Amino acid sequence: MLAISNLVTEFASVKALNGVSFQAKPGLITTVIGANGAGKSTLLRTISGLERASSGSIKWFDQELTHKSVESIVRSGIAQVPEGHAVISQLSVGENIELGGLFRKRIARGDLAIATKEVYELFPILYERRNEAAGSLSGGERQMLAISRALVSRPKLLLLDEPSLGLAPLISAQIISIVNDLCRATGLTVLLVEQNANTALAVADHGILLALGKVVADLPAKEMIADSSLRAAYLGY
Amino acid sequence: MTSFLTAFFSGTAQGAIYALVSLGLVLVWRGAGIVNFAQMGQAMFTTYIASQLIQHSYSYWSAFVIALISGAALGALVDLGLMRPLTSRKNSQLLNSQSMRTTIPVIASLGILGVLKALAGIFWAGEERGFPSPVAPNAIKIGSTNLAITGFDLFVIGVVFLTLVLTTIFFTKTGMGLAMRASALNPEVTRLSGIKVGSVRTLGWAISGTASSLAGLLVTPRTNLSPNTLDLLLIVGFTAAVVGGLTSLAGSVLGGFILGYVISFVNVYSAPENVFIAILIFLLLALFIRPQGILGSKEVRRV
Repeated sequence: MLAISNLVTEFASVKALNGVSFQAKPGLITTVIGANGAGKSTLLRTISGLERASSGSIKWFDQELTHKSVESIVRSGIAQVPEGHAVISQLSVGENIELGGLFRKRIARGDLAIATKEVYELFPILYERRNEAAGSLSGGERQMLAISRALVSRPKLLLLDEPSLGLAPLISAQIISIVNDLCRATGLTVLLVEQNANTALAVADHGILLALGKVVADLPAKEMIADSSLRAAYLGY
Repeated sequence: MTSFLTAFFSGTAQGAIYALVSLGLVLVWRGAGIVNFAQMGQAMFTTYIASQLIQHSYSYWSAFVIALISGAALGALVDLGLMRPLTSRKNSQLLNSQSMRTTIPVIASLGILGVLKALAGIFWAGEERGFPSPVAPNAIKIGSTNLAITGFDLFVIGVVFLTLVLTTIFFTKTGMGLAMRASALNPEVTRLSGIKVGSVRTLGWAISGTASSLAGLLVTPRTNLSPNTLDLLLIVGFTAAVVGGLTSLAGSVLGGFILGYVISFVNVYSAPENVFIAILIFLLLALFIRPQGILGSKEVRRV
């Protein structure tokens, strides 16, 4: 269980997160939606340790994450796929995937080989293009690669930051559905940040609506889809 | 023909040393975004250590190895003791502007250079001394004909060639090499992959320190050793790094060899006093024709 309480993250004197509290249940997809600037990315970046919380707590089961380094958070099973299909374009596709599992090379070499094989089965196109530079991939393939890099670390919690950003609807639907299948099949916990609320709520179990750094709605996804006044007020459609 | 061959072989041997210096600079530049002006000061210091050991009747090779290890240790120490605290977030009050953040470490490296020179002056009186080489600096003879290459040139070329092969294997075939490349290219994604980017960066400083220490050991049999002898090497190495492309390891090595040939051919066909001006002209030409360097990539700024 991911339990966030009273989380505040400040940039200079602006509170990007202003007392955020919610929980994400294990094995389910929780989606965080909200308009641009609501604090969605900051939330994920604070969970993964890229930004420091000024106050509040982030608990993953018994572990408090707020004062841990990015590396140790990743090593404790929390992987983030950052915004913008973040892969290292000068490295090859295979190297990007290898990078994601590098820290497990000594401790779990056998399982790393299995995990690598699994992501290649999940995204066969990446196997075909494993020796090409990641920069030569299309947007959708880059997103697949960014997810694969996270998956080879065998995360328990996957933080996805706007996976559909800049992708054709068909491709983003395909990627979201793969993540959905993965969650249902393996019990992976997913925290999905999306600006495209419909896509996200369609697969999610639970929805969190952020506005100006605060949680304004915390509902089962089905109820959130049904609540048109909520969407009109905060998402503008 | 003989003078052409002399220029070629001596250019290769000199270029090999410039390649090491340039490689050391590029490693730190890629990893930490710092031009380390102290680099050849570190090399000077470790060469003095080797020289001191040899005077105390250690063998050349044990002094050689100890100097390389000291080079690695000194590089790591500069990062851990100075650069990391200077650039860490805790001091963000002091370093709140980007220009300060990039300038302060460079000025600090000049400070280290000064300290190392002063220490060399205190410990070793700053006197110029010779430094031995394990092979005779005479031309190799076949029968009674002198070849255009000396035994020492061959030694330098061999050692550097071996170093470059090992470095290439390290960077392309090992996990740590991949982690180093990834850290330099995209620290955030690398950290999100669970890699301790700070430690990887320190390793880069250590490898850079070793490479420049090796350059010091290989150049001083010819130039002698004093606190200031390696200054020129830094300038040439820096030029080589810029010519090759500051962001490319292969480019830095290529730049080193090109500079070696430029200097050597000017030396043989023109006059030694024209070498310095030739370096500058070459640098300007390179910057005009290909400012990102031969193998460097154009900086892509993401928004």
